[in-house]
Amino acid sequence: MTTLTTTPNVPNTPTPTAKQEIVRPPRPRPSVGKVAAWVAMAAIMLITLLPFYWILRTALSTNAGLAAHPSDPLPVDFTTGGFERALGLQSTKEAIAQGGSGGGLKFWRYLLNSVVVSTLVTVCQVFFSAMAAYAFARLRWRGRDRMFGLFLAGLMVPAIFTLLPNFVLIKQLGLVDTLLGIALPTMFMTPFAVFFLKQFFMNIPREVEEAALLDGAGKVRVFFRVLLPMASTPVLTLGVLTYITSWNDYFWPLMVSYSDSSRVLSVALAIFRSQTPQSGYDWSGLMAATLIAALPMLVLFGVFARRIVSSISFTGIK
Amino acid sequence: MRFRTVMALTGALALSLTAGCAKDDSVGSASDTVTYWLWDANQLPAYQACAKGFEQQNPGLKVKITQLGWADYWTKLTASFIAGTQPDVFTDHIQKFGQFADLKVLQPLDDLDIDASAYQPGLAANWQGQDGHQYGTPKDWDTVALFYNQKMAKSAGLSADQLNSLSWNPTDGGTFEKAIAHLTIDKNGKRGDEPGFDKHHVKVYGMATGGAGDSDGQTTWSPFTASAGWNYTDKTRWGTKYQYDSKTYQSTVKWYFGLAKKGYLAPFTDYSDGANPPNVQIAAGKAATAFDGAWMISTYAAAKGTKIGTAYTPTGPTGKRATMMNGLADSITKNAPNKAGARKWVTYLSSNNCQKTVGSYGIVFPATPDGTKAAVAAYKKKGIDVTAFTRPVADKKDFSTFSFPITNYSADVYALMRPAMQDVYANDAPVSGLGKTNKQINFILGQ
Amino acid sequence: MTIASSSPPTRRPRAREDGGDGRLAAVFIAPALLGFLVFLLWPTLRGIYLSFTRFNLLTPAKWVGLDNYDRMVHDPIFWSSLKVTVEYVLINIGIQTVTALAVAVLLQRLTQSALLRGIVLTPYLMSNVVAGIVWLWILDTQLGIGNEIIGGLGFDHIPFLADKTWAIPTIALINVWRHVGYTALLLFAGLQAIPGDMYEAAKVDGASEWRMFWRITMPLLRPVLAVVLIMTVIGSFQVFDTVAVTTAGGPANATNVLQYYIYGSAFGRFQFGYASAMSVALLVVLSAITFLQYRLTRAGQTDLG
Repeated sequence: MTTLTTTPNVPNTPTPTAKQEIVRPPRPRPSVGKVAAWVAMAAIMLITLLPFYWILRTALSTNAGLAAHPSDPLPVDFTTGGFERALGLQSTKEAIAQGGSGGGLKFWRYLLNSVVVSTLVTVCQVFFSAMAAYAFARLRWRGRDRMFGLFLAGLMVPAIFTLLPNFVLIKQLGLVDTLLGIALPTMFMTPFAVFFLKQFFMNIPREVEEAALLDGAGKVRVFFRVLLPMASTPVLTLGVLTYITSWNDYFWPLMVSYSDSSRVLSVALAIFRSQTPQSGYDWSGLMAATLIAALPMLVLFGVFARRIVSSISFTGIK
Repeated sequence: MRFRTVMALTGALALSLTAGCAKDDSVGSASDTVTYWLWDANQLPAYQACAKGFEQQNPGLKVKITQLGWADYWTKLTASFIAGTQPDVFTDHIQKFGQFADLKVLQPLDDLDIDASAYQPGLAANWQGQDGHQYGTPKDWDTVALFYNQKMAKSAGLSADQLNSLSWNPTDGGTFEKAIAHLTIDKNGKRGDEPGFDKHHVKVYGMATGGAGDSDGQTTWSPFTASAGWNYTDKTRWGTKYQYDSKTYQSTVKWYFGLAKKGYLAPFTDYSDGANPPNVQIAAGKAATAFDGAWMISTYAAAKGTKIGTAYTPTGPTGKRATMMNGLADSITKNAPNKAGARKWVTYLSSNNCQKTVGSYGIVFPATPDGTKAAVAAYKKKGIDVTAFTRPVADKKDFSTFSFPITNYSADVYALMRPAMQDVYANDAPVSGLGKTNKQINFILGQ
Repeated sequence: MTIASSSPPTRRPRAREDGGDGRLAAVFIAPALLGFLVFLLWPTLRGIYLSFTRFNLLTPAKWVGLDNYDRMVHDPIFWSSLKVTVEYVLINIGIQTVTALAVAVLLQRLTQSALLRGIVLTPYLMSNVVAGIVWLWILDTQLGIGNEIIGGLGFDHIPFLADKTWAIPTIALINVWRHVGYTALLLFAGLQAIPGDMYEAAKVDGASEWRMFWRITMPLLRPVLAVVLIMTVIGSFQVFDTVAVTTAGGPANATNVLQYYIYGSAFGRFQFGYASAMSVALLVVLSAITFLQYRLTRAGQTDLG
């Protein structure tokens, strides 16, 4: 049985006795390197999070106040108007009065649409790409490497090549203004997903699989029962990242959707950008909408983060 | 994979597929729906009210209005032409008219018998193609005027009347430049025309910046170039040669951008289309005046803590004032799914009924005189005086109005002029370089 | 007496080794292959064909042979776009990779906190467009909080996104901010595959963290790092959204990256044939760079198993 686990760093503290006679050796002072590392970490966290504070502060300000007090660290003229607009709780009249746009946003509908599209894309794409990655990483067949090279080349296809032909194809399939139409082009694979998983599959030690094969298990079984569980970290990571990418996709859903039934959240939020030339954005609404749109992603990541962390052990089957 | 996980994922997948395939709205089905696109979200309620009136008059017909912000409007429209999912009717803009006429995606509207005299002068004629056919019905119009911060004007000793009587010339800038200079205040409190003025550390600019103006300069230099007697092209409509190489044009533009060098006009780097357009600069107290269009009136009026007045564009060397009068129109697409319904809708849109309704919302000036009156009244109710915008249209003695250039290849002209003008404004490139750009443009037009 | 050996010399049983997985592989690869052919390959071939035509998207394409390529080679804006894009990629990938590597290693060696890992990923949760808009607001020359702080420190406001020298580095850094977490997470997943007891053994031998990084982490991370580099370079070359919302290619083409120029030619000026030709050029450049990268980093091989 081979178990490869990382053991946490346990400092050398002897067990204290009741008599406290043993003098504990002094705690090792943190090295300069460690301090520097923590400082670097803190700096990175700060730079990452400060814009979010600024988004929150802007979301809770009024548009009129924002121009007049650009640098107040706290929200200017505290208001929940931005959030109300983002959630579709204001009428157009109220929105205009607050210097914003986007009254009557059908927020929950768009949220549902986004969830459906992203789930569809993620589940299918990851699954199909994992199958293809297995074929490239573990199976042997003629033309394997050449085909992989071709798939790899797909990474470089300029977006403009695919945009219009895909759109025309979606129309010919009668899928314009549907969620399936939005999901279809990326549902089967992306070169990145196949590439990414292949690299990980290759890195996984073969012994366990070979043992299973010798035991008489078929390659299909090995894929589902052995490889995928062992590769759960990268598969989950890829899943989360694919979900986020699909959630934030803007241009393609914009092309495909024409009505509320297929509009996704990222497209709907464009309403807070300039409606007319030179009029500037509805900052309050836009920032509020950004936070709300990012929230489901935060939840998603929160749920899976632990799994991504904890599956660091490669346990054998026997 | 755990069996349960597989089941859960399959369930999610199945659910997604069924939800993904279902759609409850169809994209403009032929017989009883008319699809209409517009970009201004603020006008949506006005047109929804119009649609109600139309549906009452035409039982059985429904109007489906789609609103897409300016940034995405044209991309989506183009894509819809390509894929055949275009709307029946859409709000058209003169800048794109030339391009759409080139691409032959507009339906001629001659049989609708548009009476040009029913609208403000010049609006209907602007929408005639090179072939003489009418391609748009007048919808609304806007002009450009000078917005100013009333408090700053007062402390600079400039009355509303004075601001309404400014004049300029390319040599010394006239009373206009003096006013702008006086309104500029540097970090030490010195005004732009006082000795010791530090043009590198300005606190309040006399005039806000609207960018380099691209090929039209609508809210930047067009009031000056036009009142100097210059026109974009050799003919008023469908010209074949642009005139950016004219001495008049270049000397005016040089003077205009020169204001930034003197510290009176905010520099190019202060402008940001999304974050810091002119109205934000005024609202933030960083500039005292700004040229802007009538569609921005409500935005300026809503600025907190700053009372905004409006003044006419200054008189130029020709002795007249000039302001760009831009008329939007409604066009029918050539492959519209519901042509019959579209014609009815367009006729209704350009009728007095609809235009008065839209005017009463006080957001734009509709094209019919009655519609315009309704809008002026609505603005008055909100406490806004719009004479600076409406007088140029009525008073042809002191004012001249002009339109966006209407030519073929308008997109190419824009693509070439935009960086060229930015080069002059931001990078101090010589104005004479515009002559080279003009040559490139005329070469394309000559194809 | 020698027995004529009728049996073949001993070698490993051939069984299902070379090429024998063909049918199984076909099944496994079918869905991905379908997607690839329909949504990637066919559009690319069509795009290459269109690069030899004059096509305004609404009327049938007209064959013009090499005209578009000839125009492209003589187009100063094309070359300027290429230069601007390369400059962008160098700054973006350089800073992003180093930072992501540092973050990933810190996350692995310093602390296993899931919270920190989550925090690092948060910028990726917004779309490219929104991230660009937020930074446009923060870095605005007159009103942005960034410049208010700079002004407060006594310096002149910096026109981050409106000055020809600052614009590209600023956009590069905005995208670094957005993508570092994502890249770090991918590298982190790769770091997880490195057996922990290698570090333990090295520690026992008295190796410092720095030494362990260069002797253990980097070599074993190489395949994953290579993938990440290839992917980020390709993505970086195709930058578009951020430019579109912050500078629109300005000032005076200073940020007119190739993808933006291509889009403008296609959708703005309806010159789809020319845009296709430039896309083909981009494709060629990317292919060359990727091929080089793949070879140089030996991304196809692993040192672990």
